[in-house]
Amino acid sequence: MNKPIRTHAIDPTLISSTVMQSKIEDEDICLKVNNLKLFYGEKQALHDVNLVIPRKRVTAFIGPSGCGKSTLLRTFNRMNDLVDNCHVHGEILLDDDNIYAQDVDISLLRRRVGMVFQRPNPFPKSIYENVAYGLRLQGINKRHLLDERVEWALKKAALWEEVSDRLNDSALGLSGGQQQRLVIARAIAIKPEVLLLDEPASALDPISTLKIEELIYELKSDYTIIIVTHNMQQAARVSDYTAFMYMGDLIEFGATDKLFTNPEKKQTEDYITGRYG
Amino acid sequence: MNHNSITQQSWRQRKRAIIDNVARYTIGLGGISVIFAIVLIFFYLLWVVFPIFQSPTVELKSQFSSPFIEDVTRYQVIEESGQLVARVQSNGDLVFFSMTDGKEVHSESIDLNGANEISQVIKYDVEGKRLVLILDNHRLLFVEISYRVNFVDGKRELNPQVSFPFGDESVELEDVDQIVHIRVVREDEKLTLLIIDADNQLLMRSFEVEYGDELGEPEVSSLQEIALNVEFMVVDTFAQWLYLANKDGQLVIYNIRDLESVELVDQMIIVEDERQLKQLTMLLGGNSLMAADDKGAVRQWSLQRDKKNQYRLKDIRGFKSDAELTFLIAEMRRKGLVSVNQQGEVMLYHTTADRLLLTEKITDDKILRANLSPRANKLLLESVSGQFYNYEIKNPHPELSWKSLWSEVQYEGYDEPKYIWQSSSADNDFEPKFSLAPLAFGTLKAAFYAMLIAVPLSIMGAIYTAYFMAPKMRALVKPSIEIMEALPTVILGFLAGLWFAPVVENNLLAILSLSFVLPAGLLLFAGLWTAMPLNIRRLVPYGWQAALLMPVVIMLVWLSFMVAPLFEAVFFGGDIKHWLLDNFGIGYDQRNSLVVGIAMGLAVIPTIFSITEDAIFSVPKHLTNGSLALGATPWQTLTRVVLLTASPGIFSAVMIGLGRAVGETMIVLMATGNTPIMDMSIFQGMRTLSANIAVELPESEVASTHYRILFLAALVLFLVTFMFNTVAEVVRQRLRKRYSNL
Repeated sequence: MNKPIRTHAIDPTLISSTVMQSKIEDEDICLKVNNLKLFYGEKQALHDVNLVIPRKRVTAFIGPSGCGKSTLLRTFNRMNDLVDNCHVHGEILLDDDNIYAQDVDISLLRRRVGMVFQRPNPFPKSIYENVAYGLRLQGINKRHLLDERVEWALKKAALWEEVSDRLNDSALGLSGGQQQRLVIARAIAIKPEVLLLDEPASALDPISTLKIEELIYELKSDYTIIIVTHNMQQAARVSDYTAFMYMGDLIEFGATDKLFTNPEKKQTEDYITGRYG
Repeated sequence: MNHNSITQQSWRQRKRAIIDNVARYTIGLGGISVIFAIVLIFFYLLWVVFPIFQSPTVELKSQFSSPFIEDVTRYQVIEESGQLVARVQSNGDLVFFSMTDGKEVHSESIDLNGANEISQVIKYDVEGKRLVLILDNHRLLFVEISYRVNFVDGKRELNPQVSFPFGDESVELEDVDQIVHIRVVREDEKLTLLIIDADNQLLMRSFEVEYGDELGEPEVSSLQEIALNVEFMVVDTFAQWLYLANKDGQLVIYNIRDLESVELVDQMIIVEDERQLKQLTMLLGGNSLMAADDKGAVRQWSLQRDKKNQYRLKDIRGFKSDAELTFLIAEMRRKGLVSVNQQGEVMLYHTTADRLLLTEKITDDKILRANLSPRANKLLLESVSGQFYNYEIKNPHPELSWKSLWSEVQYEGYDEPKYIWQSSSADNDFEPKFSLAPLAFGTLKAAFYAMLIAVPLSIMGAIYTAYFMAPKMRALVKPSIEIMEALPTVILGFLAGLWFAPVVENNLLAILSLSFVLPAGLLLFAGLWTAMPLNIRRLVPYGWQAALLMPVVIMLVWLSFMVAPLFEAVFFGGDIKHWLLDNFGIGYDQRNSLVVGIAMGLAVIPTIFSITEDAIFSVPKHLTNGSLALGATPWQTLTRVVLLTASPGIFSAVMIGLGRAVGETMIVLMATGNTPIMDMSIFQGMRTLSANIAVELPESEVASTHYRILFLAALVLFLVTFMFNTVAEVVRQRLRKRYSNL
């Protein structure tokens, strides 16, 4: 049985309009990935990836399950270090510093490159303490500094109005969507430069998803955002640039509107038209 | 096509439903049986313990009018089982009659050897079966009553017998013209006679006696002039202390151990001002005098050494009554007293428990005579009008009170109130000391030292194993520690008591020094290791570094054992135990809290380790990742997120460990020395509730007070562990609600 071929799976009008027709050559580059190879033991998970991530733009990684998009995302804050037998070759430059250099302080790197996971993971503390967590790690304990930053982060994460009267309640009492926004607030409270979002809305209902997407749109004026998503509509809606990965290879990378409407590679077209994945 | 209806069940579905139901009810039944068994244990303990909290009762069993025409009775005593009463009349008749109806059972006439009548009868044993008859010619006749038990047609029958231990001839005492007061004490082969004559002089005669022989030549004491008008005369059962008192309560005490040199020990007034002494009697054991005044107040006086090693009579405690006591009778088997006052009220006291157990009005008659049976369960009152009242006293456990169990008690012969557990001794006159306080203290002390060793080691070990250790090493370490739990505690206790305790004793400094040598040495090694060049450190895979510490630990222990004797020789004069004793007064017991702490710590470590490790390991990865992604170091993640999330599990691990340490028996039984003392010193032993039950229950008489109090100890232990577990569960649930993230 043949699947019907959809030539235009994405309505071009949905695509984010601010940087329509943007060109990567014009962008200020935040992260540069050079010849990145990643092995889990003997198994190679990423083959020679070369990529640039533009500053203060949203870059989406799409691709079928197991294609290495999450692995690639995790190399940016070295979360893969926690996996046994994970070896990385090549380099990733964050503002011209190789984050895989010997003398890199991983804690400092992670302060600059924040991350939000697929499932909301608030700590079993109060809402306030969750947001203040990253600040306290840095030794900021002055109450007024914390108050100020917590309010700022919660406002930035569009959660302030919902929780301002119960900051000392447990974060576990929030809904899934609220929890995910809380986690985003927690991540931006330490003012990172880059925000990695690993399928941030996959565990949420449509309304919450919409809120997260609006939030991403809001945040990109201040942060370089990289989002991994399974949902092509979502990639199309929120991102400026999209990278399509398949079997550990970066197949195609370009402006989102171009990649979705006029892909260069056949594999990309097959994927976005729903032939596999 | 096969359409399955949702109402019509196929056989397969029905079978499934049946299996489901059977499983549900079997499991439910199992669970309920467990709860039922525990409740049953609780109620069984309560059922055994309950009688000690019951109030005593006095009940009139029968009453009958006196079969004796005129009152010429000189002496009356109840036989052991409370069936018969023996009565000595002035004409020498010895009559035995039934306690229930007054019917005469047996009668015998004693040949008074020419004397007209008996003027006085004195008993010289506790139960009142050995008697001295003082005849009106001032000669003495020694009589002994005994009962032979026969079974006639399956019925128990008592046959009273009368014998004359020193011959049926009356004895004349040389130089004794008139006997006003006389006391006789028999102690083994020595019979001592103490006489106050009409001139208020004390005369003493001491005989070497053999049963059946006539009395030989006495050892004669020098004459003592007594300064007061003797009204009361009491002597202890060892013929060591003689107490003489007059009506006004003036008392003198003589030490009469050596008849050649009788000395005045103490003198004092034992009643309050302007009161009269009405009763003076000795409590069982011969250590305490009970003195009752004309207002009904009873005071206990005990002879004990003061700080200058001089014997002094000390006022221990007192009881009050509304009216003057007409009778004050000491129980023959316990430290109890029965009194009857002028208002016809009977009162039961117990001195150790410091309790007036019962006050009950039982008669309006004027009472002439009162007798208590040896078992203190029968009371016979005879009224002036010739009525006998036969009462049954149910008072099986007077020794206990909340106060005597849990607070300091002034025991006989002690200079101050103390917490003491001393349930039995070779001597029946002994005052049992049932204070649960030292046992509860010992239990908590043993648990405290065990937890002191176990909690830091097991929790820190669990943290490292769950959070830092390489998975392969963890797969080796965790089961190894958990298998330690299968080690029978009797083996641990045996090793601790017989092997480890002497090792600790001989290497005390080395063992003590380990408590800082080990942590310091390990930290030093860790510091050196991180300072090593990277290529050497790379030789050990991440998470296996702990394995490097094993030879270090062995070396440090060996080093401590080697170096400690030198240190001891140089700084502690060769022996740290002597040094501690000389400089700080700290004594050292071979079986002590240190040994128990280490041995029981070892027994508890697997429990705490295992539960803590599980709790930490099961902290969700997405939480630790979330923390690490925010720039936290692994240590920050551990202290701020992991431990917080695992806290319910860690808490319940500690509480379960504590519950185990409190209930642990074999190790404390074998390694503590079982000394029921209250001393927090780590070098002293203790006795725990559990070990006490194990030691004493096999030896205690069923249904005795001692037996019941051991059950009370078991109940306390049950409640304490129950409380620990309940608190642990409640707190754990609360923490879980707060911190679990599922």
